[in-house]
Amino acid sequence: MSLLALHNINKTFGPLKALTDLSFEVGHSEVVGLLGDNGAGKSTTVNMISGIHRPSSGYISVDGQRQDFANRRDSAEAGIETIYQNTALVDCLSISRNIFLGRELTDRFGFLDLKQMREIAMQVLESAVHISGINSPDKLVGDLSGGQKQAVAIARAVFFKRRVLLLDEPTSALSVRETEALLHQVLKLKSEGVSSVLVTHNLYHAYQVCDRFVIMSHGTKVFDVAKADTTIEELTQHVVLT
Amino acid sequence: MTEMTHDRAATPRRTAAQRLHDLLSMPAGAILLVFVLVQIACIAGGLLFPDDFRYLSPANMGIMMRSVPVLGCLALGAGMLMIAGEFDLSIGSVYTFTAVVMAMLVGNGVDAFLAAPAGLLIGAAIGLLNGALTLRFNLPSFIVTLGGLLFWRGAVLLLNGAIQVRFDPNPVFNELFSGTILGINAAFIWFIALCLVFYALLHRHRFGNHVFATGGNRSAATAIGVNTNRIKLMAFAIAGFMAAFAGILATTRVGSVQPGQGTGLELQAIAACVIGGLSLRGGRGSILGVFLGVMLIFTITDVLLLLRAPGFYLDMFIASLIVVASIFNHGLDRRGAST
Repeated sequence: MSLLALHNINKTFGPLKALTDLSFEVGHSEVVGLLGDNGAGKSTTVNMISGIHRPSSGYISVDGQRQDFANRRDSAEAGIETIYQNTALVDCLSISRNIFLGRELTDRFGFLDLKQMREIAMQVLESAVHISGINSPDKLVGDLSGGQKQAVAIARAVFFKRRVLLLDEPTSALSVRETEALLHQVLKLKSEGVSSVLVTHNLYHAYQVCDRFVIMSHGTKVFDVAKADTTIEELTQHVVLT
Repeated sequence: MTEMTHDRAATPRRTAAQRLHDLLSMPAGAILLVFVLVQIACIAGGLLFPDDFRYLSPANMGIMMRSVPVLGCLALGAGMLMIAGEFDLSIGSVYTFTAVVMAMLVGNGVDAFLAAPAGLLIGAAIGLLNGALTLRFNLPSFIVTLGGLLFWRGAVLLLNGAIQVRFDPNPVFNELFSGTILGINAAFIWFIALCLVFYALLHRHRFGNHVFATGGNRSAATAIGVNTNRIKLMAFAIAGFMAAFAGILATTRVGSVQPGQGTGLELQAIAACVIGGLSLRGGRGSILGVFLGVMLIFTITDVLLLLRAPGFYLDMFIASLIVVASIFNHGLDRRGAST
């Protein structure tokens, strides 16, 4: 059974039809590349899976269970974490406060357990995410580089035991080295049983790590293929020509 | 802040320059440094010239402690709202309006212990209204609360005309809000207690974390599942509540309400916040900064009065302080809750 599946999803915004009869699946420990040119409907799809938009018809399932995500918290509870282009972090807060934002460790009066939050943050950053240069969980996120920020966002996902990471254009703001580190991280998480959906229009980055490719155009799926059965040339053709 | 001092103790091999840099990059570090220097200068001056510069005299201390709390309470509320990324220009008018309502209720035989909570509730409700209008219609809170400033100032005149209202509560109430406990003014004790409450709320509580997140990066906070609208509404309500509380302190101290008394106070409160290192764009600041901002305004005012400087010097000094503080803070604009 697939981990995450979209079933015949349509989405309209007023007169605009953003998604048409979109179906695809993400298996356990699988990295799927969601590809397509600008305007193909990738971002709408991501927002749908993370609970920001609701499908006009069709549905999403996790472990075969039909889901109805009303907001991002619902999708997070189902084990899905979205890591956005401009990563959803607050620059003026420290790393540990960012990792626990919205899910703070508190006593029963709501006061923060700062000590434990710092210790866990440091542990997660050290063990789960290997990005050099982060040496204190008290550092402000605003002082980090693009790659370090994404590392913090991934650390957050890892700590909260997410099973699917949705990475929306993760490499667009990264240096070459940071990109390598990120792609490596995706593979490492896969070996630990975490699936990823890499949303990108950079075919080369996707080709490095993905097991399967879903290509979208004009709000629907036009191609769905395993890496073993395709080449980067064929993928390029489908992105460009459909 | 305690964490930071702890960290520094753990790594003793820092140079003085690094320590200074650390201090200055703390959200309220620079203002703390200025405040301590000003205090040292004033205390030294008071000790050296006890007759000419009566800074340390009990009378002067008493005046300070009575003047600080009103602006202080306004600034605490305004500051929390600013960190959440919004303004409230109406707090000066709300402060007068709720005080007039409270004084009139007491004048009509209602017990002050019922009238005061009524004033606080009205303050919070006006704050909520400001917040609801701002968020529902997606307007700048600057505009909405500018409307509030004029509206509630007018409402004061509508309610009671341009005459002062006497406030004559029962003695227990009087003692509680303007009495003296162990030589310290009760209003000042209220202010310190509220500073501690706000510190716990903003820097040690989940709510404060969400306030910083809302003001610092609203879309990120929303994406993570923080209900930013609710946080902003609560911050607006707190600002209104604190305005009403400042009204209670001022009214109890003076024993009457002047219809024009709150004019300009909202700007002074925002000035105190800016001097204390809060960013006008939200997401940055600390309660220590707000406290020091208020204290510094009054210390400098006090010093100029003791030196018998003409009144217009006061405004010019405060003005310079605001601009210098903003220039300094601009370079550190990304700094916020450091722990």
